[in-house]
Amino acid sequence: MVESPPIIRIDHLSKRFGSLVVLDDVSFDIPTGRTTVLLGPSGTGKSVLLKNIVGLIQPDAGHIWVDGVDITTASERKKAELRKLFGMLFQDGALFDNLTAGENVAFPLKFHTRLGERERRQKALEALAMVELPDVFDRPTSALSGGQRKRVGLARAIVLEPKVVLFDEPNSGLDPITSDTIDELIVHMKAKLGITFLVITHDIVQALHIADQIGMLYKGRLVEYGTTEAFLRTRQQIVRDFMQRNATLPPPDGPLIPIP
Amino acid sequence: MIAGITGLGRFGGFLATLVVASVTHRPPIRSTFEEAYRIGVRSLPILLTISVFVGTNLSVQGYNAFAPLGGQRLIGMFVALAGVRELAPIMVAAMVAAKAGTEMASQIAVMRIRQQIDALEVMSINPHWYLVTPRLFGIVLVLPALTVLSVFALVTASWLVAIFQLGLNGQQFIEYASSTTRLVDLWYCMVKAFAFGITICVVSCYYGFQSSPGPSGVGSATNAAVVSSAVACAVSNYLLSRVLYG
Repeated sequence: MVESPPIIRIDHLSKRFGSLVVLDDVSFDIPTGRTTVLLGPSGTGKSVLLKNIVGLIQPDAGHIWVDGVDITTASERKKAELRKLFGMLFQDGALFDNLTAGENVAFPLKFHTRLGERERRQKALEALAMVELPDVFDRPTSALSGGQRKRVGLARAIVLEPKVVLFDEPNSGLDPITSDTIDELIVHMKAKLGITFLVITHDIVQALHIADQIGMLYKGRLVEYGTTEAFLRTRQQIVRDFMQRNATLPPPDGPLIPIP
Repeated sequence: MIAGITGLGRFGGFLATLVVASVTHRPPIRSTFEEAYRIGVRSLPILLTISVFVGTNLSVQGYNAFAPLGGQRLIGMFVALAGVRELAPIMVAAMVAAKAGTEMASQIAVMRIRQQIDALEVMSINPHWYLVTPRLFGIVLVLPALTVLSVFALVTASWLVAIFQLGLNGQQFIEYASSTTRLVDLWYCMVKAFAFGITICVVSCYYGFQSSPGPSGVGSATNAAVVSSAVACAVSNYLLSRVLYG
């Protein structure tokens, strides 16, 4: 049972590319100030859902309410306004190669604040300190490791103090120790900032470590969603198989137990 | 057929988005000058080199064509007409398409596949305004100037070859050249360069934005950008010549 009022409400969302159904009537709420994790195997529609939430992809059906505004029907101008509520960490950080690590972090400040160069640098340094990289401001992005790229990307995502931070596979391509460091960082930042996190991942260990709420997408359908405790007690065979890393997951059209 | 219509529609949508983004946002003055400098300075050495050697050959071939008829004095006219009106603008456009156009397409394609364009959108920064507008303003600022420089390099090289290699009268060369070309031809030359600049930038950036994932996607986008912009420039060169010269 979700108690916090939702900052994002996904309402019967569907999306297909040609004949491929990527999202099939997905509905759920993302509560404010909590960490929601969406699990699922690769190619199951998680990234597409994330892009729908920030208005980068237009759904075929359904609505997404962000802070009370339907982003699916909003004008481009309104979408741009709504996106200021978000910070997003992309899979490989999506850092700009022509800028240093610090310039990447300060980049959104240049466009959305009236801060001078020195103040922008100071804010970027604070954000970098928060992700435990205080010394990389002047480092070119090509000299950053995979984990550092993610952390710089995270610093950029939080520098404008957004209401929601979205994470697209934050542990992909990282070794287990670096993955743990990123997980710890997410937990630590959540406690410090108190904002809403939405994480999509296929990493069960990470999900259980950081989540207040967990959902599972499978072949475009939300097959389970609830608190971490409720998720662990799931009766869905697909979810159990996924958590036990069973390689022979059942077909998507099999019977599903309705989400309460 | 359907794919062609869909592609045209997509290109139209890209163009409309670019126009709206360029007129509704503040002009990116600093990055425009950075792009103009980058395009101009990087293209200038190769451009002048090619222009010089096209000019030398224009004189030689003109001589070969006119001398048997006793019309070697007409070389100045031939060089001026062919060089100023037709060769210089399209030659500069082809070289800038090959150099700056491919760079635009590949840079934007890499940004597309590395999700940097998505990142711009999520940061509420219009990617068309941030990535295309400065390149567009930069290229239309610099391409007419490059074309004028190319004209002078081409005609000067032709003139020198006419004097020192072919033993012709330099004064006569200039008289015939200036009798057929006027200042307005230089303006028309710049009008063409302006149009080619828009074509190269819009087509190259469009293919960059449309890039499919992976290194082959970037390669295909770059290739499509240079081929399409060169063809588009050649076709518009014909149309512009029809309009400007009849």
